[in-house]
Amino acid sequence: MGRRRSAAAQPRQPLPSQAMSAAAAAAAPGGSEALQAEAFQRLYPDQYLAKFVAQGVRPDGRPLALPRATSIGLGVVTTADASALVKIGSTTVLAGAKCEVMPASADEPDKGRLVVQVEMAPLCSAECRPGRPSEAAQALGEQLGALMEGAGVVDRRQLCIDAGKAAWAVYLDLYVLDADGSLYDACLLAALATLASLRLHAVTVDDAGRIHKAGEDGAAAAPAAVAQQRPGSQQQGAAPPLRSLQLDCQPVSLTCGVYRGQLLVDPTAEEEPLLEALLTATVDEQGDVLGFYKAGGSATASQQRVLECIEAAKMRGKEVRGLLQQALEAAGVADGGAVAAGS
Amino acid sequence: MEYVSPEGLRLDGRRPKELRQLKAQLDVLSTADGSALFEMGNTKVLAAVFGPKPTELRSQEDEKRAIIRCEYAMAAFSTGERRRRGKSDRRATEITKAIRNTLEQTIMTELLPRSQIDIYVQVLQADGGTRCACINAAFLALAVAAVPMRDVVAACAAGYLDSTALLDLNYMEDAGGGPDVVVAVHPNHSNRVVLLQQDNRVAVETFEEVMELAVAGCRAVADFMRGRLLEHTRALAAARAAGEDGGGGGGAAMEGDSGEELEDDEY
Repeated sequence: MGRRRSAAAQPRQPLPSQAMSAAAAAAAPGGSEALQAEAFQRLYPDQYLAKFVAQGVRPDGRPLALPRATSIGLGVVTTADASALVKIGSTTVLAGAKCEVMPASADEPDKGRLVVQVEMAPLCSAECRPGRPSEAAQALGEQLGALMEGAGVVDRRQLCIDAGKAAWAVYLDLYVLDADGSLYDACLLAALATLASLRLHAVTVDDAGRIHKAGEDGAAAAPAAVAQQRPGSQQQGAAPPLRSLQLDCQPVSLTCGVYRGQLLVDPTAEEEPLLEALLTATVDEQGDVLGFYKAGGSATASQQRVLECIEAAKMRGKEVRGLLQQALEAAGVADGGAVAAGS
Repeated sequence: MEYVSPEGLRLDGRRPKELRQLKAQLDVLSTADGSALFEMGNTKVLAAVFGPKPTELRSQEDEKRAIIRCEYAMAAFSTGERRRRGKSDRRATEITKAIRNTLEQTIMTELLPRSQIDIYVQVLQADGGTRCACINAAFLALAVAAVPMRDVVAACAAGYLDSTALLDLNYMEDAGGGPDVVVAVHPNHSNRVVLLQQDNRVAVETFEEVMELAVAGCRAVADFMRGRLLEHTRALAAARAAGEDGGGGGGAAMEGDSGEELEDDEY
């Protein structure tokens, strides 16, 4: 959308206007109609959407209750310990996790850390500006972090290496590359996919109490031990043992918008500002509610509405977990704890 | 450390004068006017262009030409060690400036007075040569956004290790301590050099050799990018011929029109 918006906002720029009139002239008679529809959409976005919704469809051709096509790609960034690229329609989020060894904290000596950060890269939409992280990005990060902690997605005791001494800090960075609505859903799915495919390195503690990831320089102790047990095996050939993360639940969320008494599922960036209220329901695989978010909006939500949204989220959860399972199997990491928890 | 084996192969198995595998996907983002994902081996860069549009700040407006704004950022997980790169990062600022200056010389800013073009580059995965990959990605995104340009601008690095000139260094080679020459050229204007960066002690003869190799690399990169742009334009033209110009197709075709021919001054 931004493309067309900016093309029209440049009266002094000869190129697009020429091209536009050329396109209008060259195209079939339908071309100018398309242009008129575009002008109508820009001038009266609310009426434009209302005309669609009255017919039970959305401007992108979806029925009101259908979420957009979703895809999950795992292991797309090789420099990260785990990564996932999630697309919901054209909303795109790239998540990457990096694990670092940290000294155990005094408050929670037997727990590691999970830090979730959301960054909206300035290239994600025409409205984003470089500079300080936007309010939306910070809010998303906080919401996701609170969900991970509150719903107990990852038991952080798994991140303990040596109680009171060392633990893992997992940094989960989410980059919104294309912001086309329902960002929370896409971010949560990317976070979940990344954590489900994350493998923690085996570690060794040397005499000086320093900790090394197995397979890295200075971690000679572990492979040597392995080699002693199995004299036949080659030191280099032995793959460093990796531990998968046990996820206690698999949260999936769905955002619904209220528009003129109707519920629009998985709204796009074009629809979002026109909606009267946005409801986001997060459910786990049993269908229990892990979170619900409705921040203001001009419409209030009845209990009925809330339940409708939760029902839709449950349906969506089944679909999305299926996709995640497929992606994990395709990436060959499906044997882990995430699956056990999911079944 | 041995950077070139006795058989003449490098750490990643390439020959000294071999580029890494190049990949480009155009128009990958829905909201940007132009965007491109460019890969040189394991280095992955995403670039997006917004504009040309009216200048946001009146005070920055230039009556004679367009202003170019540029922002370079690295994903926290893009490098081996996770590092929080602040916005005030000096290295990022320097790269931003190099990219902006290169593109200012390439875009025909004088045709777009009082306007502004925003260029954002995001490094998703870094394995040496991010600077070059960024310039190439930004060029592709600009071309997709139909911004008029003087020429293709292609960037490539070359270095010198183990008495051998090496093209397109990866991270390991970059860290090898030899000279690293970054060049960006306009290949259709007798290889006019737009950007040249080199910060290491090096003999003049060596420098010449390395520079020559880097320019040859740029030409190869330029050919690759031109090919991808032509392919992209043909696909758009085919889509339009197939009558796909309802709402969305109309915009795409419009941009394809002028997108094709930025290469030479046709104005």
